Amino acid sequence: MRYLLLFLLPFTAILLQSTIFSFYGIKGTLPDLVLVFVVFFALINGARGGTIYGFLCGLFEDLYLGRFIGVNALSKAFTAYLVGHFQDRVFKENILVALIAVLFSTFINSLLVFFLALFTHEIFNIDMNILIAVIYQSIYNTVLAVPLYLWYYKSSYQGILRPTGER
Amino acid sequence: MLVFTVLLSFLLMHLTSPEREEISIAENLIRDIFTPLQSGVNKFRYNWGGIASVLNNKEVLSQQIQALQKENQELKIENQVLRESQAELKRLRSLLDFQSDSLDSYNLLPARVISRSPNNWYRYLLINKGSKQGIKKGMPVISPEGLVGQVGSVSKESAQVNLITDREVAVGAILQESRETNGIIEGRGDSNLLHMINIPYYSPIKKSDRVISSGLSVTYPRGIDIGVVKNISPEPSGLLLSADIEPVVNFDKLEEVLIITSFQPPEAIQEAEDSEN
Repeated sequence: MRYLLLFLLPFTAILLQSTIFSFYGIKGTLPDLVLVFVVFFALINGARGGTIYGFLCGLFEDLYLGRFIGVNALSKAFTAYLVGHFQDRVFKENILVALIAVLFSTFINSLLVFFLALFTHEIFNIDMNILIAVIYQSIYNTVLAVPLYLWYYKSSYQGILRPTGER
Repeated sequence: MLVFTVLLSFLLMHLTSPEREEISIAENLIRDIFTPLQSGVNKFRYNWGGIASVLNNKEVLSQQIQALQKENQELKIENQVLRESQAELKRLRSLLDFQSDSLDSYNLLPARVISRSPNNWYRYLLINKGSKQGIKKGMPVISPEGLVGQVGSVSKESAQVNLITDREVAVGAILQESRETNGIIEGRGDSNLLHMINIPYYSPIKKSDRVISSGLSVTYPRGIDIGVVKNISPEPSGLLLSADIEPVVNFDKLEEVLIITSFQPPEAIQEAEDSEN
């Protein structure tokens, strides 16, 4: 059941981002809920599990987008690896930690996607609009992370997302 | 683990970076799983919008009706004038034995928008018509307002339409009134504005000029409305100008589009005629 939910979270995120959220963007900027769930997972489960989960979620997103496969897989895996590295050194029960992690992760992930887009020749120069979009997305993700983390954290220790061996 | 994922990602990027004619089985499958769900969510949102408008203030609705009635009358008059002009154009064209390439000479297939790009890097729409309905990669897509984009990839039940605001899309364009200034319109990807480049410094281009497709590219028929000139600025070289173009199509509110299924670029028609002779 845990694995099904871990799959359904990015699935639902893409479904909502491509339908409902596309009408409620902040100045046309959409949130990245897939990244938010990847950050939560890495924060609770560590670098190794986070990297695998980030890679799989990013790959799923890439396959849905149908252009350069691997861009989101790599950026989300690397972002999750960085977040997971701090897992043992922070108070995960403090929601502020999760919000700061989401805020910085959005910046890092966007930076990686941007450099990979340069690598694949999808974009050729940095533009002020790109930076503004990254700032808007970071704020959007952080705001949405407040209710989502409250549920995710509780579910990871007491609910359906708790690893099977720990029940 | 990180090294493995990095290597695997780069391998996947390397394999999928060249222009692909078709999407993979996995991409096809994922898109076809999402399509009915997105249609359902979209239908719900659409119906909810209908309920909300009924609950709207009666006064606002009556004002909207009055404005629409006024617009309808103006459009009817404009339509009469245009019908006359069209009949005259047809007569003159037949006199000159001129090949018509106006929009009404193409086969148009209507499609409903079921979803949009879920991220900020790409600008595309997903429509509810796919290879099953004869949609092919590269077909131009329009709306009653103007040019929307081009079919990027096709699955069985749906197709991805890359908007003209996407970074991967470029359109040959001219000024509608003066028929001068061949430029290239590029999507910026990060906003709904377009960027027109390669405009000669002596061009008569000015603010509020209407820009249409030039028909010089092999992708789009000529004469389709693209947008209005918003700003003009010189390029660093000094020999060329560039301009910001505001598209005539409101991509955020697009619910239906029309796919031109019968467009053949002029070169293709010429080649077919040459091979026949």
